[in-house]
Amino acid sequence: MSTATDLPAFQPADYKSDLKPVWCAGCGDFGALAALHRAMAKLQLAPWDTVVVSGIGCSSRLPGYVETFGFNGVHGRALTLASGVKLARPELNVIAVGGDGDGIAIGGNHFLHAARRNLDVSYFMMDNEIYGLTKGQAAPTTPAGDKTKSTYWGNPEPSVDPCELAISFGATWVGRGFSGDPKTLVDLMVRAMQHKGFAFLNVMSPCVTWRGDDQFKILKAKLAFLPPDHDPTDRAAALRYTRETDLLTTGVLYEVRQPSLVERMQEVHKKAAEVGGLATTADIIAALAPPL
Amino acid sequence: MRPGLPCPRLLSDVATRDTTITIVGSGGDGVVTLGDLIAQVAAHEGLHVIKTEAYGPQIRGGESSCTVRIAAEEIHSQGAAVDVLVVFGWSDFARFRGEISIAPGALILSESSEEQPCAEDLGHIGGDSLRWVPVAFSELSRASSGTPGSKNVVALGILGGLLGLPADKLRRVMARRFGRKRAAVLEANTRAFEAGHEFAASRAGTLDAGRLDYLPGTPRLLLSGNEAAAIGALHAGCRFFAGYPITPSSEILHFLTEWMPRAGGVFLQTEDELAAIGAVIGASFAGVKAMTATSGPGLSLMTEMLGLASMAEVPVVIIDVQRGGPSTGNPTKSEQADLLQCLFGTHGDAPRVVLACSDVEGCFHATVEAFNISEEFQIPVLVLSDQAVGQRKETISAAALKHEVIDRRKPTEDELEKYERYRDTPNGVSPMSVPGMKRGMYQTNGLEHGEDGRPSSLYLTHESMNAKRYRKMWPIRDRYHGFQRFGPARAEVGVLCWGSSAGPVQEAVAAANARGESVAAFVPQTLYPFPKHQFQEFLAGVDEILIVELSYTAQFYKYLRTFMDLPQGRTHVFKRSGGKDLTGDEVAEQIEKVRGAMARQEAAR
Repeated sequence: MSTATDLPAFQPADYKSDLKPVWCAGCGDFGALAALHRAMAKLQLAPWDTVVVSGIGCSSRLPGYVETFGFNGVHGRALTLASGVKLARPELNVIAVGGDGDGIAIGGNHFLHAARRNLDVSYFMMDNEIYGLTKGQAAPTTPAGDKTKSTYWGNPEPSVDPCELAISFGATWVGRGFSGDPKTLVDLMVRAMQHKGFAFLNVMSPCVTWRGDDQFKILKAKLAFLPPDHDPTDRAAALRYTRETDLLTTGVLYEVRQPSLVERMQEVHKKAAEVGGLATTADIIAALAPPL
Repeated sequence: MRPGLPCPRLLSDVATRDTTITIVGSGGDGVVTLGDLIAQVAAHEGLHVIKTEAYGPQIRGGESSCTVRIAAEEIHSQGAAVDVLVVFGWSDFARFRGEISIAPGALILSESSEEQPCAEDLGHIGGDSLRWVPVAFSELSRASSGTPGSKNVVALGILGGLLGLPADKLRRVMARRFGRKRAAVLEANTRAFEAGHEFAASRAGTLDAGRLDYLPGTPRLLLSGNEAAAIGALHAGCRFFAGYPITPSSEILHFLTEWMPRAGGVFLQTEDELAAIGAVIGASFAGVKAMTATSGPGLSLMTEMLGLASMAEVPVVIIDVQRGGPSTGNPTKSEQADLLQCLFGTHGDAPRVVLACSDVEGCFHATVEAFNISEEFQIPVLVLSDQAVGQRKETISAAALKHEVIDRRKPTEDELEKYERYRDTPNGVSPMSVPGMKRGMYQTNGLEHGEDGRPSSLYLTHESMNAKRYRKMWPIRDRYHGFQRFGPARAEVGVLCWGSSAGPVQEAVAAANARGESVAAFVPQTLYPFPKHQFQEFLAGVDEILIVELSYTAQFYKYLRTFMDLPQGRTHVFKRSGGKDLTGDEVAEQIEKVRGAMARQEAAR
């Protein structure tokens, strides 16, 4: 992790860009953004060594609001951009952000493979259980039966739990937070960014416009914390805190240490170097046409 | 044998300076190994070689054929007709119906235990001139090596003797190929080779007709177009490759999985083509030269993010090794029908550069050039290759693998003073910083944005940024107007083609010129922006135009029509589906047609 220890300490406000968010008043994403600014300050991330990438959606606008390098890409592909940035420049801090539709519907395949590879990025999914930017259609996280702009007769499909997916996909750090509980959220973001490997944080981030302005109250009432004896290395135990309906349990559900993709790539480079170091075009030609 | 008029040609009774050998058998017959070994020795002798393979749809087994053209002079396409045919099984041969044409006077070495088909069954046009040489391949293999599995090595001994290639070199390539296996395997194969060699000596009188007349020269490098493209990428300084396997481009991925890490770069096999182009954009955004390679179906998946690269002005290189389409189409065969997708496949107005490669060496140069253009102008560059050049092996001179490399310009101190990622400039190219630059921080996006990179939905911003992005095309055209031109400056017939059609066209033009016919050809290598001025100059010097392409709907012809009027009544189009490579004879026939029509018009006047 690249930090700026040789400079005056960064304040949360230093990570705030001068662009005003397009979000609706009362949107949960404001809380997530403020928490990210604070978490970055806690870790003293060097802004110029930090890249925030995203896809498309309300929350995917976030990179524009963080004073680091940023890339707001296309729908569903945040993690593909993140893979390229991190593997090309492993010394950078890479954070992927986006919504539940972006990451589970259109971008679900990349979520699976980034987790499976243990790609060294933190992935913060702001989950509002709806499509906000396109004005209120059902997402894969929308509860069954809910009426939305695209489920006139009630949602006929069951929903998924992003944390359950992340654990099954092989993520090595999985947590859940709530944008209405900034204190815990900052702590979770810090721990996710400190994790070596793929860290997935599901941030419940209510959409007051399309899910109703009582969402904060409903989620707050369900808010719970993991018991002190929860063993985050116990996969089965972690899965018990997914698919909850009456509770919203926040905290680090799952955390194990396994070789990250960057570490595995370093192994590849070590093996390649043993065979034959830097390859100039002349080296390649010589190897392709050995003397007969 | 060089392609010439489509009239019967007879294999010379003395020696030849240009011969085409085709070997046909089942998957397990070692057809491709045999072709490989012959090609390697010929390349090592300094001869010019083009080697192609064809398969049935089976993953393993099934029919396969390998064609090796060997010549003492430069060649540019696969032989139009086969001079030496080796057949291990006629049922396999039958599965290539319509794809293998046999030259009059050809030598046919076929398994003697099988019943021979009659000449008509071979689709042969030269009467009864064929020279049949029955060979007991299986029996010779069994008697010498103890198994029928070495019949390809028996054939190697025979072909080596027939062509007059040095036996000691043939033995050494064989040892290199089989040396890694058990010692007994090499010994058995050596006995099989000697059996074949003796057979050739015993039939010297008949086989003399196939002898190559050449003087050994400097060994030449035998490479496929896909390998050459991969080497080009490394040469250009590409240190990030992400890709998803797809025929016929996978050899690029196979080459780079080994070599990219040895060059200190990153190789990533992604979950799909969407992830491949995404990772490449991410890596390039981070400051590392990056590339992906695919074929038509993969390119379709990449199209959305191709637009992202155009919009965010991120340099990326995409190689499209075309195959027959649409959809799954004809994965192992060539076609030139991704042209319009590459040029115009976009939502919105998305600038890109499209380059084409027409032979193996061209794959190297086009790839380096693609990086040069994309890094200098911050624009996606597509390299259009196809199965015919991508998968064929061809000899090139190792000295040819040189090309100037241009790196991305770093922002100056002045530019970083008040940094704007998309600052409008006279040539449209803005200063591009990379993560790590303290004063170069910016947030980019696929949204329309102003000079500072901030999203903007203003019409005025959209108009001026479109203008900025497309303004790059002028300096690109000034600097990179690659094209090839064959034949005299003034000609009666001017042939136009692109990509892999260039080789057969070049040979047909040379043959026509040798006969005193006035024919020239123009082959653009930069397809977009098109070398318009050079093309207009060419047009002004020719009377009739003949467009040649392997696209059922004549995509190249249609493309030309988008920016210029071709002379009415004097423009001829020869187009057909891919699935069978274009030959020099085919082009020669079309040139004759145009000349015939001109002569008739002249007579009528």
